[in-house]
Amino acid sequence: MTVAEHIETGPETARAAKPLSAVRLLSWALTAVIVTLCVVPFLLVFVISFGRKIEGAAWVWDFTLANYQRFFVGALWPDDVTFLYLQQLGFSFWYAVIASLLAVLTALPFTLLLSRLSRRAQAAWLVFILSSLSLSEVFIVMGWDILLSNNSGLPALFKSTGLTQWLKDTGWFQVLRDWGLASPRNVKFKTSQFATILTMSYLVWPYAVILLYPALSRLDRSQSEAARTMGAGGWCVARTVILPAIRLPLFGTTLLLFVFLLGTYVAVTVFAAPAQHSTAVAIYSNIRGANLNAPFGAAQAVILLMSAGVCLALGHRINTWAEAR
Amino acid sequence: MRVVGSLYMAFCALLLALPIAVVCGAALNGGRSMFFPPRDPTLARFGEFFVSEPVWTQALGNSVIVAVGAASLAVLLAWPLAYLLWSTGSKLSRTLAALGSMPFAVPPIVFGVGLGFFWSFLGGLGALWAGVVSHAVLLMALPMVTISIGLQSIDRAHLDAAATMGATESVTFRTVILPQTIPYTISGFFFVLVLSFNEFIVMFFVSASGYATVTLQIFNSLRNGYTPTMAVAAITFIAVSVLVFSAVARWGDLPRLMGADQSNS
Repeated sequence: MTVAEHIETGPETARAAKPLSAVRLLSWALTAVIVTLCVVPFLLVFVISFGRKIEGAAWVWDFTLANYQRFFVGALWPDDVTFLYLQQLGFSFWYAVIASLLAVLTALPFTLLLSRLSRRAQAAWLVFILSSLSLSEVFIVMGWDILLSNNSGLPALFKSTGLTQWLKDTGWFQVLRDWGLASPRNVKFKTSQFATILTMSYLVWPYAVILLYPALSRLDRSQSEAARTMGAGGWCVARTVILPAIRLPLFGTTLLLFVFLLGTYVAVTVFAAPAQHSTAVAIYSNIRGANLNAPFGAAQAVILLMSAGVCLALGHRINTWAEAR
Repeated sequence: MRVVGSLYMAFCALLLALPIAVVCGAALNGGRSMFFPPRDPTLARFGEFFVSEPVWTQALGNSVIVAVGAASLAVLLAWPLAYLLWSTGSKLSRTLAALGSMPFAVPPIVFGVGLGFFWSFLGGLGALWAGVVSHAVLLMALPMVTISIGLQSIDRAHLDAAATMGATESVTFRTVILPQTIPYTISGFFFVLVLSFNEFIVMFFVSASGYATVTLQIFNSLRNGYTPTMAVAAITFIAVSVLVFSAVARWGDLPRLMGADQSNS
């Protein structure tokens, strides 16, 4: 017995002493790395947003709220007020809201159908979805740009197939012109909000599928089947059984995609008219582009991040509130 | 109902493939400009992209260096994080994991701006190694998730069995934990590889025009109009993605990695 105890306690004490310090060392090292690489960059943006630009030079550390004031009411306030930057933020929100809603609503039925396929078929579809998900924004914009540009792509196709003429004959052409989707001669998709939102929606569509997939593939299918046995139609089942069960992931996905889309840069620069550019474009032109006003760019980035945070918090609030009812 | 469903899936697939197909078709153009359908089809553009035009071969080289470097570094960073989270579950480990996924969760342009400032202070702005580190940090969340899924799939009974038979912690780690999580680690590695390959906006800020990856080069050429060589780049990238994800699906459990329920296999 004493021998056994000896054998047992020997390694036990040694193990207790050594891994503990190793784990602690690891924790410290990791904390240092994570804080430096993941937190410091964000802190820098925040701190620099209070800095001051010097005309004809770079910028200096400072503590001024001028950048924020400029964002909300313009640099010349109170003599002159401009809401240009707020308007840009508005466009960021507008594009992101519509595009994320569009993506989630069209991805939902697709993902539901996907989750009912065989395991093999699901894996094959997932390869396709993931490949298109990882495809760079620049390639996607390039593809849609070719498709939507006026000389090649859809407008040319419209013209050569006589669809343009048909639209003119039936009077729809005037409607398209009113929406800004046609020039006097032919349909025109560049530059338009339609093209911007379409591309942005396309950009996050695979994300929507991937984010909805876990929830939908875990749906208890026996519930839908029970409802069907009791005589509920397909639409009725979707509304009363499936939708309540996935409300949370549906909402969460829309919110995540929305936040992701707030920072879209390439699609907006290419497809949106200059007057309808978003905050992300303004951030770039201040930090790396023509304006070279890093503190103001940083302030815009902070505001973009804050708005994203507010939306996430609000979403969380609404959710808990809906849950409680 | 079933027919409508299949039709809808086919429609989605078609729409998803449409711009990709257009870009691929445009790569075959013989001339200097993009037409669809292609005129005077040729494969000469492939030679330009991979061999003869230094602008593109250099960009491709940089892309590969950044992607492979970032994927390796991201896995190295994510492993201890995921392990700490799994083995201790402490408050610190949860905070670290949350902070580690933050760059991936916020709009990438904000993190890009932050890294731009960060590297300009450290002198890494416009250096390739800074690009590698930036992508590793941005995408670290992915291997962290896949490795965590792998660690959770380990049967605790195996660990108990190993401990009963007197295996030390390092032996258990080497013989039980590591082999069972390797597929998940590799999946994480490849996710970072592919996403880093295609990432644009963060690289845009940290490269500071010091070097160009393929996506940067494409964006730079965007203003001068498209050339079919750019479409070759797109084809290459799509091919890499399809290959990588097929490999993950072939040797790993892709539906499970994506969070599907295990029971309906």
